[in-house]
Amino acid sequence: MTDISRRGLLKTGGLVGTALLSGGLAGTGFARLATAQDDPLYAAARKEGALTLYWGSYEQQTMEAIRDAFKAKYPGIEVQLLRQASQTVYTRLRLELQNGVAECDSLGTTNLLHYTELKKIGALAAYEPPDAAMLPAAFKGLDKDAMYHVGAISLTSINYAPGKVAAPPTSWMALLEDQWKGKITTGSPAFSGDVASWVVAIRRKYGDDYLRRFGQQKPKVGQSNVDTVTDILAGERVVGSGAPFSYTLTQKAAGNPIDVSVPTDDAILNLGLTGIPAKAPHPNAARLFTNFLYSKEVSDILSRNFWPTLRTDVAWAEGRSLDQMKWFRNTGDDLAAEVAEGIAKWKELVR
Amino acid sequence: MGVISTSSRDAVARPVMARVPLVKATILGAVVLLLVLLVVQPFGWVLFNSLHDDATGAWTLNNYARVVQSADLIEPLVNSLVLAAATALIAVGIGVPLAWLVSRTDLPFRRSIRVLTLTAFVTPSFIGATGWILLAAPNSGWLNTAWRWLAGEGAGAPLNIYSMAGAVFVCGIYTVPYSFTMVSSALDEMAVELEDAATTLGCGVLRTMVSITIPLAAPAVIASFILSFIQGLTLFGVPAFLLTPTGIPVVTTKLAEFYQLFPPEIYLAAAYCMPLLLVTGALFWMRRRYLGRKQYVTISGKTRAGRQIHLGAWRWPALFLALLLPTVAVFLPYAALLLVSLTRAWGLGLSWENLSLYWYWWAIFGNSETHTAIVNSLVYSTLGATLCVALGTLVAYIVERRMMPGASLLGAVATVPIIIPGIVLSVGFFAAYTRAPFNLYGTPLLLIAAFAATFLPIAYAHGGSILKGIGPELERAARSLGAGEARTFLAVTLPLMGGGLVSGWFLVFIPIIRELSVAVFLITPKTNVMTTLIYNAKDGGNYEAVCAMSVLLLLITLLLVAIARPLAGLTGARRTSRKTATAAGVPS
Repeated sequence: MTDISRRGLLKTGGLVGTALLSGGLAGTGFARLATAQDDPLYAAARKEGALTLYWGSYEQQTMEAIRDAFKAKYPGIEVQLLRQASQTVYTRLRLELQNGVAECDSLGTTNLLHYTELKKIGALAAYEPPDAAMLPAAFKGLDKDAMYHVGAISLTSINYAPGKVAAPPTSWMALLEDQWKGKITTGSPAFSGDVASWVVAIRRKYGDDYLRRFGQQKPKVGQSNVDTVTDILAGERVVGSGAPFSYTLTQKAAGNPIDVSVPTDDAILNLGLTGIPAKAPHPNAARLFTNFLYSKEVSDILSRNFWPTLRTDVAWAEGRSLDQMKWFRNTGDDLAAEVAEGIAKWKELVR
Repeated sequence: MGVISTSSRDAVARPVMARVPLVKATILGAVVLLLVLLVVQPFGWVLFNSLHDDATGAWTLNNYARVVQSADLIEPLVNSLVLAAATALIAVGIGVPLAWLVSRTDLPFRRSIRVLTLTAFVTPSFIGATGWILLAAPNSGWLNTAWRWLAGEGAGAPLNIYSMAGAVFVCGIYTVPYSFTMVSSALDEMAVELEDAATTLGCGVLRTMVSITIPLAAPAVIASFILSFIQGLTLFGVPAFLLTPTGIPVVTTKLAEFYQLFPPEIYLAAAYCMPLLLVTGALFWMRRRYLGRKQYVTISGKTRAGRQIHLGAWRWPALFLALLLPTVAVFLPYAALLLVSLTRAWGLGLSWENLSLYWYWWAIFGNSETHTAIVNSLVYSTLGATLCVALGTLVAYIVERRMMPGASLLGAVATVPIIIPGIVLSVGFFAAYTRAPFNLYGTPLLLIAAFAATFLPIAYAHGGSILKGIGPELERAARSLGAGEARTFLAVTLPLMGGGLVSGWFLVFIPIIRELSVAVFLITPKTNVMTTLIYNAKDGGNYEAVCAMSVLLLLITLLLVAIARPLAGLTGARRTSRKTATAAGVPS
């Protein structure tokens, strides 16, 4: 279909044919195409014909759903998705930059530092996605030069096994009670960005004394904080600290005996970011995708997969929302040093 | 263990000079060129990186200074050496007797045990570790639960997989296939005159095995010990899963931390691999000292085919012992994986309502990426293993027959890649092949080349240990009858190596299929492989899918092995050597 010119497509016959091919009902497909067709950005993106996503935010399943929705809405653009861990994706992009290769059109990772660094070396392109207007106010205009934007909202909370715990801990402080000794599972800040954010936040709130007492609770330390869910489902431990909010809810929805407890002393919020590399081979397709992230379609997918949505007019799953919980986000210019210090303290005090 | 000399060292060392130097020069040139492209260049990049600063990119020796000065970096090295040595001891300690039982005795179900050992080999180490976590985690492990059920609630947990002992155990059992395959193919090729002589002189079965058979297989035993040791040094999955919770760092988990830092310390990671090279270099030096003065030739112009040892009353006890490895490496962990893969939500435990084939359906039909990934995995492994075995065998031949000055240097070069942990090597391949003039990024060739290079040491070591057992007499006979070196190699040596080469091919094919880290920066959406998908599912915590895909990966590989069996049978060692011997006019 990429061979058909835009003019040819505008002819009714071509339009109906394409609508049928795109797999939707002819009627809705027609309407969708007609509006998409008016978009000059889509026209430019179609001319490029391809899009390569390097994403570490969201797990494979959600990311594939977003990709498929994009393909359905914008036929004629071949989408390649590389889903790897955020840090792997970033390292790969750096290798590509060093070796003069340009493959990536859209980068999506969970670490703000990736973007401040890429911006510093002039490796990002500015773009203002119009649909980002519907983002929660707190996350609008993260970068004054519009080089990067929110790509994902990730919450770190407590999770637990409902059948085995009479009353779950309701705060980070409560995790230090005697009853949880030998019962806690968590991830390692040296391997998991979310746990590293948690360590930074908890040190800001309660200082190193918290880490010392947390260490005395003899937590089981896995690699990723996803391991907390595994340990709870397996029955190895009953309470998870620094645990992934969305993923726990996904597992709960799948029927597994697990639930989240949002701490009263703040869920830790970590932003996933997205940006377009300066040398992206398909810059228009990249812009189209970036704007698509803030569409209703994507927020619906996020809601279905228990992720916080990227629009104020799309509710989260189970009727939850950001306003209902207390949350805290690490900000500041010296986060890299704070993370390194946090990991060192963790190694000294927790294990 | 003074062993047998059938001819003097010099006679082996210097075959008749080539009469067609052009053909020989071309082949030697091609081998050297391939080694430069596949090994020297990527490794050169790793070395180059190790001499640069991560933050500034300037030349520096600081990375090495940090490695030797920081206690933080020395402790993981020591832990890795302990893990590697213990892994190698287990691998050889189990693999060698098992190989003897399967290759030389009338043990019942020999073929099944061969296949089951291969099955253990197919298992990516992180899958094996996952299986064993399900079995032997202190609170929830099924074996521990069973024990508490038998001995009473207060009985505690006899097994703790989250320990150094646990990691050694899992690394060990999944490394046994290396020693098993290498030693059993050496035993398959071996002639039996000396064993017969020992028996005639009144030696029992055990004494013959200990003082004749195993020493004759020494090159294979030692090569497999070294490979197992390296495997213990470079495995990531097992220590990441089993040692992180106990806070025991090893080199590979430390490397992962360097990559996880911001900014990532990639150049420091490169320098951190160099001590591994030194240690492995020392092992090879010791091997040379040990093997150098002895001869292990058993296939010569006078060869007869092998003979089976009757175990008699020991058959069934021996079978029980031989089944221990498949039990701990295949039956138990795969039973656990299979059960998880058959549940819709594994946290609900086993019940009829929770049983489902959903995840298999999802892995095969529900996920568009799986199809491409399966095809890619198979194509890359087949081509990569073929290239790897061809090159490794040629290098081994050149080194064993000393066909050119500096031949042993070629051997050293062919050994380097496997020592560098995959995640670091991946960066080396990236730098080596993505630039002009190669521009291989995004192409299958990039992965095939990287896989062939990574596992070249296995093909080389395996080829070398087979060649050490083949005497040069038949080659000389061919040469004196007028055949050139190339023709001699193709018509005499290669058929003699036959069955060993097929097992060598699997020894490379299977690790490629399950390899993860080397591919990490090299795969692109179009060239994705199965293990990356499995790891992504694990990363996303989708254990049911991980287990279903692992079971599928296992079934696919077993199916291939089954298809390849008749092929292996056709070129089977005994039959070939018997044919050759008959052709040479020797009654068999």
